[in-house]
Amino acid sequence: MIHYKGISKVFKSELLKKPFVALDDVSFSIPEGEIIGFLGANGAGKTTLIKITMDFIRSTKGEIQFDFDSKIKNKFSQIGYLPERPFFYPHLTGREFTFFMGELSGLSRFRIAEQIEKWAPRFKIDFALDRKIKTYSKGMLQRVGFMATLLHDPKLIILDEPLSGVDPIGRKELKDIIVEVNKLGTTIFFSSHIVSDVQEICDSVIFLKEGKLAFKGSIDELINNNKKQESKIYFEDNGKIQFMQVSLESQSRELKKMLEENKNIISVEPNRPTLEEIFYDVK
Amino acid sequence: MMLNNIFIIAKYTSKEILQSKILLNVLLLGLAMAGVIFVAFNFTYGEVSRVALNFGLSSLSLSSVGIAFFMGVTLISREIENRTVYMIISRPVSRSQFIIGKILGLMGVLFINILLLSLLTLLCYGLIGGEFYSTIFAAIIMTMLECVVVLLMICFFSLITTQTLTVLFSLSLYVTGHAISEAKLTTFAMKREFVSWVLEGYQFVLPAFAKFNIKDFVVYQKSLDISYFFNTTLYGVFYSLFLLFLILLIFEKKNLD
Repeated sequence: MIHYKGISKVFKSELLKKPFVALDDVSFSIPEGEIIGFLGANGAGKTTLIKITMDFIRSTKGEIQFDFDSKIKNKFSQIGYLPERPFFYPHLTGREFTFFMGELSGLSRFRIAEQIEKWAPRFKIDFALDRKIKTYSKGMLQRVGFMATLLHDPKLIILDEPLSGVDPIGRKELKDIIVEVNKLGTTIFFSSHIVSDVQEICDSVIFLKEGKLAFKGSIDELINNNKKQESKIYFEDNGKIQFMQVSLESQSRELKKMLEENKNIISVEPNRPTLEEIFYDVK
Repeated sequence: MMLNNIFIIAKYTSKEILQSKILLNVLLLGLAMAGVIFVAFNFTYGEVSRVALNFGLSSLSLSSVGIAFFMGVTLISREIENRTVYMIISRPVSRSQFIIGKILGLMGVLFINILLLSLLTLLCYGLIGGEFYSTIFAAIIMTMLECVVVLLMICFFSLITTQTLTVLFSLSLYVTGHAISEAKLTTFAMKREFVSWVLEGYQFVLPAFAKFNIKDFVVYQKSLDISYFFNTTLYGVFYSLFLLFLILLIFEKKNLD
């Protein structure tokens, strides 16, 4: 769906200061129909890459190719985008703002009303649509922004930290909607630094570290690549379930010793690191 | 589609500004105008309608230029700062359409402001027996043109510098643009060819706002040459188009960080 080819971005700061390299020769592709998590610590270059994708800023080097139908004149008619920390027009109501976005996407007022009827209850924002946006909380802004992103049934949705500032229940609801929209055939590319959210719903991930591509591929591949040569032996001790972490080399020896001590062994499992552990460790 | 996008952006920009209660200033100015006319009517001999007209046209100009200044400073810069521009240009909307739509939206509010205050001025003027003549309407059109040039000048500065400097530069150019024609008439300038040449050059390059001020013709019922009106209108239109061209050029290349 999108192909990034050697994207670099250098910000030239003040005269005597060294230019800042935000992105360094980043290349990867986003396959159609998947949910791709875009991971990286703050300042890794995620938002910069998204801004380049959306033409808000220009890359210093490299190009981006979109695989949309050649009949489509403007790629943005196929893209839905939600910025990080959205801030919308404070004196418009949520409904007016949604109509504004829908009209700009070329939808009729009837179609926009239909879409609002469909999505507003799902985003649990229907009760506030006739209130001015300046009265909205951060979570409500995310919801109304997310709803506006879906109005024109885009083929590709790009979300920049869509779950930040949303409470745990809200996060679950938004994640359910992301999965639901993806099942309808929409490709979703979303950046986050909340690793557990990415692990929960994404098929594959793109890792950026200090502006460089650290990993691209499926989450399973990433975890298997970083699998430790360790296992966990779960056993019962005085009525409590405990575990012992052992290296694969010493696993047989430890098991034999535990059996000799008449310990009730429950299971032996490979010690798979979580995505979060890898996130802090990836090179 | 292109015109449609511009219209949609202009419509919601006007809506947003109007809902921010900016037109309350019209109400306040209207009340002030009624108060001044009441005072003039009771305490002025002979020239009541002239005082009312002068006050009406001055407040019309002041409030409209004021709105152009204060709303213009943040019209585009706040869109970038708050990233609201991202939501718009991530739709099938070009940067030029965005800018033209935003500017037309604010111009719409300015025109509503001018229209309401003009009607109020003319109503009060008519009620106290003022005589209507074409120069009054020419002055209102000149105020509209002046506001458009002021707005575009502020939008231009807001794209290349900070808000504080935008206000400072725009205010300086506004004051100078009004004073320059008077400066040309001073003995000091008239006796020195170089100074006259510099002042003439200034008027050619930078906005000569004094051209739009024809209140003296209105208040003292002096006849205004029709060619002056058309030349000034053309000047205003072409200067506005020139500023709009610069704004579009800058915004098209601007990194929207």
